[in-house]
Amino acid sequence: MISKTRIASHVAGSVILAFMVLPILAVLPASFENASYIKLPPDTFSLRWYRVFLADPEWWQSLITSGKVAVLATVISLFLGTTAALGMQRVSPPARAVLTGLVISPLVVPVIMTAIALYYVMRPLGLHGTMLGLALGHTLLALPFVVVNVGISLRGVDANCLRAAEGLGAAPLRVFRTVTLPLILPGLAGGGAFAFVASFDEVVVSIFLAGVQAKTLPVKMWETIRVEFTPVTAVASTILIAVTLVLFISVKWASSAARTRRVAHVD
Amino acid sequence: MVEGSLGNWRLARQSTAGSATIRSQRLGQICVTGALLGPVLIFLATCFIAPLGELLSLSFSSSAGPLASYREIAASGVYRQVFTNTLILAFNVALIACLLAYPTAYMLSRLRGFALSVALWCVLFPLWISVLVRTFAWILLLGENGPVNRILMSGDLISRPISFLFNSTGVYIGMVHVLLPYALLPIYTAMRNVDQPLLLASDGLGASPFQTFARIYLPLTMPGVAAGFLLVFLLALGFYITPAMLGGMKNMTVAMLIDLFVTEQLVWPLAAAGAFWLLLLVLLLLLVASRFVNLTATVAAR
Repeated sequence: MISKTRIASHVAGSVILAFMVLPILAVLPASFENASYIKLPPDTFSLRWYRVFLADPEWWQSLITSGKVAVLATVISLFLGTTAALGMQRVSPPARAVLTGLVISPLVVPVIMTAIALYYVMRPLGLHGTMLGLALGHTLLALPFVVVNVGISLRGVDANCLRAAEGLGAAPLRVFRTVTLPLILPGLAGGGAFAFVASFDEVVVSIFLAGVQAKTLPVKMWETIRVEFTPVTAVASTILIAVTLVLFISVKWASSAARTRRVAHVD
Repeated sequence: MVEGSLGNWRLARQSTAGSATIRSQRLGQICVTGALLGPVLIFLATCFIAPLGELLSLSFSSSAGPLASYREIAASGVYRQVFTNTLILAFNVALIACLLAYPTAYMLSRLRGFALSVALWCVLFPLWISVLVRTFAWILLLGENGPVNRILMSGDLISRPISFLFNSTGVYIGMVHVLLPYALLPIYTAMRNVDQPLLLASDGLGASPFQTFARIYLPLTMPGVAAGFLLVFLLALGFYITPAMLGGMKNMTVAMLIDLFVTEQLVWPLAAAGAFWLLLLVLLLLLVASRFVNLTATVAAR
């Protein structure tokens, strides 16, 4: 196609890419607001609202709760996701398709529906308002990404390596631990990081499952935004972005490093 | 696949052994598979299927008869309006997202090396950020005294601030922004898979650039557009956070209605019935979609 269309698409594309990223960054300057209301960009910058965040136990406790819940959700979804991916390799393709559909279905069912259903069954069980309840709800939404990521890694494992290990007399569990596991580690790391972020950022299920004892940062933020418009919410947003960004960059960096290693290995 | 070939190799090795050993080994294999799949199946059964089942029985539990809650929603003009509005909103958001995603995906498909990496980061990074944060950012930007209104006013484009928030404009901007990456990724994948020599061949046979686009490129990338459209449509149908924060009372979506039933009016059977009406819409859409696109590959794309 002629270069005029290419120029047009590059201009439009760049503008749209900017539209996708730049608005998110608007919360960063807002968090350094000095006044008691949000003005963008702020007239004067300060750490005033970061101090408010740290001084208010409700805010920093919610950050800690978010971290604990996310770790718990990550551990549960890594265990469930890895065993599921390993098991799905051993069944026939039609059975695998059914299992994949089942694992992915929580992403298709409207989240509000899952949220109220979990709220309804967890309340009488005493799981409502607990970190475990939140983590189980988050696992539902994080699991598909772990299964997909680990599944992709497993397909990349050279069967000859497994044969060699087995031929040398290693028991199945030892083959897994010493051969399969190191080879699928990038997939586990990617899936784990994603599970962590999915839990850390989750709002809808959390709104319904959180209680006074276990309230995550997004829930605290949601409740605050609905009542008042304070720069503390910009601080909370910045913290959510920072945690996500660190994990996002490390995953991208790790996966590109793994790719480079693989290429070097083939050469 | 790996395990499959491994299995064949095992079988070949076993053929020398007695049939009883083969049977017991095969039984062992089945046990291992069961042990591996057991945890996830138990988890999904208890934390997903059972709760949805409870919700289903709840939806039939109205004192006025099993289908009374479903009828009440279908018969009420107000509730029907919410469903219609949600469908229109989801459809329009999917359409706008695809229109914006197409040229962007085209640009991405033309980029190489570092520029491509940066552009892909721009697409993937927002997907990792909480919907709550992405929506909150728009509240900051679109307010009466926000930067968008100030820029428009300083450029003398408008004399009074435009109210973007708590109306449809805000909901559309926010939802398109949140869902755009889901439209972009499948379209980009489809464009990457276009056989470039086909375009050269069309060019060489004397087709104008427009003809090449309309008769070769567009049909070849249409499956990607269909996948992106359906994915955004599907996700937009159940949207809650963004319309609740950026919209007004007129912009109520089905998800907000369900929330209202549960938290304000405490009518669980209605909430459950509303949720299953919504699920029915989603499943109908999936049924249509499954004829065109492989959604499992698309849904878990991040």
